[in-house]
Amino acid sequence: MAIMRSRFYKKDEMVFVSHLDLIRIFERAIRRANIPVAYTQGFNPHPIMAFATALGVGVASEGEYIDIQLTDNMNGELFMDKLNDVLPEGLKIIESRIIADKAKSLMSIICSSTYLVKLKAKELLNEADIKQCIENLLDREEIIEVKQKRQRRGRRSSDSGFKQINIRPLIKNIELVSLDKYEVLLKMHLAAGSRGNLKPETVVQKLCELTDLSIEQYETRVKRLDLFIDKDNEFLTPLDEDAWNI
Amino acid sequence: MERLQIDSLLYRVEKPARYLGNELNSVHKTVDENMVRFAFCFPDIYEIGMSHLGMQILYHLLNRQKNVFCERVFAPATDMEEQMRSSNIPLFALESRQPIRNFDFIGFTLQYELSYTNILNMLDLAGVPIYSADREEEDPIIVVGGPCAYNCEPIADFVDIAVLGEAEEVILEVIDLYSKMRKEGYNKFEFLKKATLIDGIYVPSFYDVVYNDNGTVKTVTPKYEHVPGTIRKRIVESLDKVFYPEEIIVPYLNIVHDRIMLEIFRGCIRGCRFCQAGFIYRPVREKSFDRLRELAEKLVSGTGYDEISLASLSTSDYSELEKTVRHLMEEYGDKKIGISLPSLRLDSFSLQIIKEIQKVRKTGLTFAPEAGSQRLRDVINKGITEEDLINAAKDVFQSGWNNIKLYFMIGLPTETDEDILGIRDLVFKVVDEYYRVPKEQRGKRLNVTASASTFVPKPFTPFQWEPQSTLEEIYAKQKLLASNIKRKNITLDYHDPKTSLLEAVFAKGDRKLSKVLELALKEGCKFDGWIEHFDFDKWMAVFKKVNIDPAFYANRRQGYDEILPWDHIDVGVSKEFLIRENENSKQAKTTPNCRVNCAGCGINRAFTGGIC
Repeated sequence: MAIMRSRFYKKDEMVFVSHLDLIRIFERAIRRANIPVAYTQGFNPHPIMAFATALGVGVASEGEYIDIQLTDNMNGELFMDKLNDVLPEGLKIIESRIIADKAKSLMSIICSSTYLVKLKAKELLNEADIKQCIENLLDREEIIEVKQKRQRRGRRSSDSGFKQINIRPLIKNIELVSLDKYEVLLKMHLAAGSRGNLKPETVVQKLCELTDLSIEQYETRVKRLDLFIDKDNEFLTPLDEDAWNI
Repeated sequence: MERLQIDSLLYRVEKPARYLGNELNSVHKTVDENMVRFAFCFPDIYEIGMSHLGMQILYHLLNRQKNVFCERVFAPATDMEEQMRSSNIPLFALESRQPIRNFDFIGFTLQYELSYTNILNMLDLAGVPIYSADREEEDPIIVVGGPCAYNCEPIADFVDIAVLGEAEEVILEVIDLYSKMRKEGYNKFEFLKKATLIDGIYVPSFYDVVYNDNGTVKTVTPKYEHVPGTIRKRIVESLDKVFYPEEIIVPYLNIVHDRIMLEIFRGCIRGCRFCQAGFIYRPVREKSFDRLRELAEKLVSGTGYDEISLASLSTSDYSELEKTVRHLMEEYGDKKIGISLPSLRLDSFSLQIIKEIQKVRKTGLTFAPEAGSQRLRDVINKGITEEDLINAAKDVFQSGWNNIKLYFMIGLPTETDEDILGIRDLVFKVVDEYYRVPKEQRGKRLNVTASASTFVPKPFTPFQWEPQSTLEEIYAKQKLLASNIKRKNITLDYHDPKTSLLEAVFAKGDRKLSKVLELALKEGCKFDGWIEHFDFDKWMAVFKKVNIDPAFYANRRQGYDEILPWDHIDVGVSKEFLIRENENSKQAKTTPNCRVNCAGCGINRAFTGGIC
């Protein structure tokens, strides 16, 4: 048994496949590539694999990660080539390596993620305006997001179906990358993973709600740059050996 | 032609992966002047259409021809249609993203009568006039095929060509004729006329239909010389020699039947009297074990699927079933590729096989007694006894299953309240059988689902003359069953019979119904098979407006001497045989299956030269 950890990108038209679709794509690709994969037990066996996070439909990424459990050890380069041969255009493994047996699961170690966010402003703005908007947002101690509680099966909905959370602590940084007429390019560094997760789309929504920025609703495009494990004020990626035993 | 820009739409709709068109094993071609463009349309959403084996077969068959480019088109979901209409994007083919109004052929597969409004809506969205008479020389030729094409009279006015029967050979002959004529000087009328000389091709506009004062058909006559008076369906002779795709498109989305479908045979030996498929697909022709083995290997390696389904009308009747299943298990069990066997019969041999395949992957179990009493099962010639079912139930409960489904129909000819209560009795007996199995041996928490659908009389069956029960009658029967079957562990599943009424109307309908469909489209009827979209009141208002009574088609008993709207179509099964079978049904007299005794349906005279 060995765990192969890989970084892959998801871009172009592949951004339109959902996380569940992605799981199926990988399962089938693994079978077509004849990768010696381990299967779950039980009545409905599946290849044992785990993703770091689920990416929303429409979001591109240069930094997605997947762990695949193999029955035999395998060279990372060979694994990568075999899988890339059968993955659809727009999905590609960039790096693969066997990780320590005792490495913790991707999902449990991820802390944050960086994104590029492209917005289309409704009016012509200058850089100073936008920077001011970002500053105004970041200056707040509280940014309240009202979330509908996930309904549990079999329970009736009650009035307390909403909860308020302060998302400010989940924002590490927002900066303006460039401005080209109406097109605003932002870089965001946000909490990600099971201990706190913030979507860039939510930040954009708050930016419009709480500052003077107004944008075309359907023109926002998001791309994840990478996922990080925060260790002693350092940001490690899941393929850094130092990140395996946190 | 340029690719339409649809990216900005994809960010606004649900499940945008429906519209990408670049799935594994999809075909993309560079288009040149000589290329014949074929839009293969399925009049429902992607997840339904992609589950259809016929589309996969014809798509790959056509694309194997150098000069043909066949692409897929599905009905856009309502959110996508809205976006397309507001951005002036016409209906496009998935692969090239080019408008299908510029294609040579637009083909629709007719699987279900309630998709007719979707066909019209798709033509409208494509910018193609819906009536064939309104279309110009350069408009695409509209072709239809599939089971409903055998009586396509309700949509005859919208269609240029109907392909009757198995299309693998006919469609190539039609396209050959077209490309030859295009080189030598094409005109649509001459092309259609020559097409009628191809066996299995029906050009509805070449026939005059005259009605009696009471609304029944008086005559159907060809308008031109050489146009055949009756049109006979086509079949392929050998299922081993006929084309079968060695790779199939693998969708990104989870579709309804998301697996390899391996067709094991066509036709059916059973002759259940309600079942249209059992008659129109005759005779039985099998694929050999060797061919299946070869196809399975290629399809598994080319798709990465984890399940193979053996497709046919009655899997247990395949003569090499055991050998095939054993081979697939040995070959692919290690790779965790499961096997599913839909349409199994209740015999002990089938149960043995199903227990075997569960070792790789577990599936649900469905049995179809269809009727509750033995008398009524004999009426419909189902050929299953209560003992069969009880023994099967005992067997599966002993093997640990706790979840089984039973299919029934209500509204069958000659049905009485006693037969309805027979459903209850049978389901109760199945439940009792569970409790007879020792606690340690049986699974926990039994659930028996009894599903009761409404009988729809269909053309080319012995019940084609039978009236459908009225809505009131069906409601009363449903109520009777529901109030008597209440018991722990039993779920009763039944649906509003309103859609079944429309299904009967359009299954048995004639050309007068085109006006109904045209108006229904204008009123916004579409996706009528979807309960959330179906608007019965709107439909009834449409019928009233054009002064057509749906009961004339659905609820009227037709005489043997009446000319039926589809009488000029020959499926190879003779009308005399269907009459004989209808008479047998009235006396609850069963007819043995074709392997036991030839019932003389006529198919051997029409197609197979004496033997089946």
